[in-house]
Amino acid sequence: MTECPVCAADVESKDKIAGEVFPCVDCGTELEVRALEPFAVEPAPKEAEDWGE
Amino acid sequence: MKVAVVGGSGYVGGELLRLLLGHPEVTIEQVTSDRHVGAPVGRVHPNLRKATSLAFSPRASLRAADVTFLATPHGGSAPIVPELLASGGVVIDLSADHRLKDPSHYPRYYRQEHPHPELLEEAVYGLPERHRERLRTARLIAVPGCIATAAILALAPVAAAGTGPGRRAVVDAKSGSSASGRDAGPAGQHAERSGAMRAYAPAGHRHAAEIEQETGIGVALSCHAVEAVRGVLATVHLLDGDPPAERELWKIYRAAYAGEPFVRLVHGSDGIHREPEPKILAGTNFCDLGFASDPAHGRTVLLGALDNLGKGAAGAAVQCLNVRAGLPETTGLGFLGLHPV
Repeated sequence: MTECPVCAADVESKDKIAGEVFPCVDCGTELEVRALEPFAVEPAPKEAEDWGE
Repeated sequence: MKVAVVGGSGYVGGELLRLLLGHPEVTIEQVTSDRHVGAPVGRVHPNLRKATSLAFSPRASLRAADVTFLATPHGGSAPIVPELLASGGVVIDLSADHRLKDPSHYPRYYRQEHPHPELLEEAVYGLPERHRERLRTARLIAVPGCIATAAILALAPVAAAGTGPGRRAVVDAKSGSSASGRDAGPAGQHAERSGAMRAYAPAGHRHAAEIEQETGIGVALSCHAVEAVRGVLATVHLLDGDPPAERELWKIYRAAYAGEPFVRLVHGSDGIHREPEPKILAGTNFCDLGFASDPAHGRTVLLGALDNLGKGAAGAAVQCLNVRAGLPETTGLGFLGLHPV
């Protein structure tokens, strides 16, 4: 269990894998699992306007 | 539970009848309208065709009920409340006649002295999110105004948390045409209303008194008519101080409304529905709340959205009924709204 870095909602670690991207249930921010022990998430990088160019 | 509805031909009355007809613990014994005596309810409220065999009766024929709802114009409830209370029933007043505690506010905001100021202290403001315990035993319940409900629910947590940047707020409210009632006059005619984006009360709107009473914060309220039939969006600006960070705002609002069945926090990181919007709330009893921190301008922005006929009137009245009767608060209020609509 950890907190969403944007809205402080509880974020469950159950069944999550490293690198997984999932939305926060409250604010909808796309979160990326950065570590499992201890469980840590960060806002996932957003696609920029020039992504892939 | 046997109920009566006084003034059932208006928009609020119609919405109240719709909700009560779907309420499993309620039997509507009587609905009055002096203008439509003898008319079947479904003739005045076409969405209720075949939903009931009730017809409107004159107010003079009103009989005692377990609960009497007053969906009367402002000034129409106060004269009849003492007699209804004497009969032993509960009164749920959807007019403004018992919302304000200070009798001096009635001539100021409603241009008339209150005929029974002795009842103002007893009346419980019908906002379960703030007065649930008192509502459980109330004889007289005053259902809040629609704009007031949106603004109070948005503003109160920051006011109570003491982390707000000051004691004054600007409330900018937009409302749909049904908020002005079935007898809106020339302002409600299609030619005048269609496409409107009109400031109808840039200052001095009467709901400011309710917001100040409930939050303890000085409120400057401006109201606008917009192109919608139902809906209120109140945007509250707290301008003087350091705004809490958004993470803190989330915590404040979660703590304030944990377990509330009809308050939802809406502040998404992206998407077209990331902030509260009344459009998707039509027919529901929800009040969606949002917020944003604007430290560059020392501003906290709070948003409240609801259906003026739902959580802003009839839905709130039924929620209060449920609290008073000891029923689950969501009884008869389970409609989730429509999307798209």
